[in-house]
Amino acid sequence: MSNMTGRVVVTGLGLVCALGDNTEQCWSAAVNGVTGIREVKSVNTDNCYANVGAEVKLENAQLSGEDYDRSSLLCIKAAGEALADAGYQVTDENSDRIGVIVGNCVGGAASIDKYFTDEFKNNNADTADILKMPASAIANNVAFHFGLNGLTANIVNACAAGTISLSYAADLIRAGKADAFVAGGSDSFSSLAFAGFHALHALDENSCSPFNRSSGITLGEGAGVLIIESYEHAKARGAKIYCEVLGSGVSSDAHHITAPRPDGQGQMLAITRAIANSGLSANDIDYINAHGTGTAKNDEAEFLSLHTLFDGNDHLSVSSTKSMTGHCLGAAGSIEAVLTVKAVCENAVPPTIGYTDENLEALKEKAGAIDFVPNVKREKTVNFAASNSFAFGGNNASIVFAKEPRDIPDRTNSDRIFVTGIGELCGKPRVEISSDDYKEHGIKMAFYRKLDRFSQLQLISGMRALADAGITISEDNEKDIGIIIGTADGPMTEIVGFQKNVIENGTASGSAFSFPNTVYNAAGGYLSIFAGIKGYNVTDANGIQAGLQSVCYAADVIRNGDERIMAASGTDENTDVTDYLYSKTGLLCDTKPYSLDKGGFATGEGSVSLILENENSANSRNAKKYAELVGWASTHKSVEFGKLTGSESALKKAIEQACGCAGISPKDVDAVCGFANGHKAVDSLELGVYREVFGEVPVFCVKEEIGEARAAASAKQAAFAAKLLSGAADGSQKAYVITADSIEEKTVDKNEIGGYKYILAASFGVGGAYSAVLLKKVGA
Amino acid sequence: MNTEICEKIKGMLVENLRIPEDELEYDSELFGDDIGLDSIDSIEIIAGIDSLFGVQMTGAARENFKSIETLAKYVEEHQGE
Repeated sequence: MSNMTGRVVVTGLGLVCALGDNTEQCWSAAVNGVTGIREVKSVNTDNCYANVGAEVKLENAQLSGEDYDRSSLLCIKAAGEALADAGYQVTDENSDRIGVIVGNCVGGAASIDKYFTDEFKNNNADTADILKMPASAIANNVAFHFGLNGLTANIVNACAAGTISLSYAADLIRAGKADAFVAGGSDSFSSLAFAGFHALHALDENSCSPFNRSSGITLGEGAGVLIIESYEHAKARGAKIYCEVLGSGVSSDAHHITAPRPDGQGQMLAITRAIANSGLSANDIDYINAHGTGTAKNDEAEFLSLHTLFDGNDHLSVSSTKSMTGHCLGAAGSIEAVLTVKAVCENAVPPTIGYTDENLEALKEKAGAIDFVPNVKREKTVNFAASNSFAFGGNNASIVFAKEPRDIPDRTNSDRIFVTGIGELCGKPRVEISSDDYKEHGIKMAFYRKLDRFSQLQLISGMRALADAGITISEDNEKDIGIIIGTADGPMTEIVGFQKNVIENGTASGSAFSFPNTVYNAAGGYLSIFAGIKGYNVTDANGIQAGLQSVCYAADVIRNGDERIMAASGTDENTDVTDYLYSKTGLLCDTKPYSLDKGGFATGEGSVSLILENENSANSRNAKKYAELVGWASTHKSVEFGKLTGSESALKKAIEQACGCAGISPKDVDAVCGFANGHKAVDSLELGVYREVFGEVPVFCVKEEIGEARAAASAKQAAFAAKLLSGAADGSQKAYVITADSIEEKTVDKNEIGGYKYILAASFGVGGAYSAVLLKKVGA
Repeated sequence: MNTEICEKIKGMLVENLRIPEDELEYDSELFGDDIGLDSIDSIEIIAGIDSLFGVQMTGAARENFKSIETLAKYVEEHQGE
């Protein structure tokens, strides 16, 4: 089948890293083999065995004028260049068709460091720094800066994040959900990452030396941003086109939380998916920008993967630009994508630097037919180029760029999608987890003792959902199942614990045990490792609504034909650390939904996972079906991160789009699982929009029971809707009936619930992100 | 066997490596199937022993890491070096 109408192109580039302040400076340095690695300035490296890194020369104020975390500022700098390069004029009419998807690893680590350093040393921390801490802020800050009102997401899959963000953006454009994205990745230099990799003995004492000495990584920082756009949209506005974005592939190792599979199978699955989804074969690829971190484990596994897949290719060049940019973690994939696009356009391959004459001899023996481009660029025609990124948690991603248009396979799966399993673990203020919760799924102490709170919640809800769906992972289905996890705050407790230790005891004292859990995607990694899931695996940090956005994202992955079964989860923890941070913001107080008299809420915690499955898969195994997922939409209306007022139109749009997918009017919706949490601004915004779009509607408030469990609560809203429609929710339920001029508490009995055909769940994220999903009673 | 050293090491393992206290005896095999420590944990043990006793275990033979007892024995033999 042909999908030429699904052409996606790159129309703008933006780059800031240790090699320079813009794309041209960075490209010139990279292609000429100039390193950006120098002595580290922004982190105290006393008592550390390594002290080199690849930092951006610009100070925060030189990046952008706002008081944001450095990760956001780096991204704004690169996004500004990319939008200007693309000549993209954002107007009131087109702003909701261009969104922002940012890959990131350490979130607001620099701000977490600053806050707790101020508190520890001066007992004078600035509460304004708290809003800068979660990765959820980044894409919303970028969108707000440029007035972009399309979908936002923060892909927090550690070192693969910057490639997955591009893959997701291209998929959404092909699905018709946007005209364009500001897509990329961003990460600032941080004591968190430096102390963590130092503790793991994963830093090279000198500049890293990928595919060569392979004695460790050198950390870097920066942001890479690409304007990814539908061809029709680019053509209509007369944009210059750099190249085509072809297919991509995302996979999981299901092996180890930090180390890659030695046999390279997970990496090879991502690469082969990317090539197959591009309608190409391995022999077509001219250049691969490798992950090439410089650790022995990565380089050995990637060497094996490349030789296994490409040994029949006599014109393949492979290089690791990390030898010059350092490893920029969540930004790495996007920085490397920008350099890969330049390689395609300029017909020049940047080198891997750092080889001595002796090293070159050793390389000759192991390189085989692959050209590793040592020290000096290779000038050659680059028609097809791929970029690889592999991450902690065993996440792998690969994406292909092409000089010319290419007919790529249309893999769209238009099967109906059902909820076939639900796993829940929620509570206010805390959830009790006992060893029995692990024993229920055969999880041994040797495995679960490694998990931080966030991962514990996620693993148990994920395993419960799989068990509820009757799914056992085997060789037959392990690659057909994927995971999307949404979170507002991620593993903040583990991050803060790690950071406070480093502040009090020095960078050299980082905990090797704790560090792997400080990445947001560790929880998804543990789930894939324990369950044996080898398909798609993404964590999205995007505020409270992220648990519902995960359902939308998972449905998109199934619709795109990437997997037939997806676990969609929402997870957030409530601990002394999160309690402390939320109390500092003055938001905590237990208020009844829709009381509209106070500015606070009570926090809860938990994880809720829904198994989504296409009809063919569900029928083939005679699965129980809770409900059909008939509509889903994620929207955005930019307001300042931390605020909500002014973004009402995006909630309205999410509801209308979700209903539009199913071909119904919002007036046909029988009930809503709402997001009221007792905070006046949140509840009044929800009320106003529901009155406008529904008129009169009963609203169920799951947060009354589980508190503001953030992403867990938004995922629970969808799970609760599915249970109501299936009859699995026992007895009568309390609802708030909203009319034009009243809110009335009502007990809805089982018969009335049994008459429901459509229930909608909607949620919000500060900064103006919304998701809505529409569920339909099976057989109705 | 120095119970005081054993107890300090046990506390460190419980605190730093999240091993449930009631499942950890002085002779439990740390790197066996039940407790299941791995190479990352051994880095943490080396850092913990250094911090508690000022004893360097980098490069120490694997058998010294077998249990709390063997760790305590190593600490006793190398303290004050």
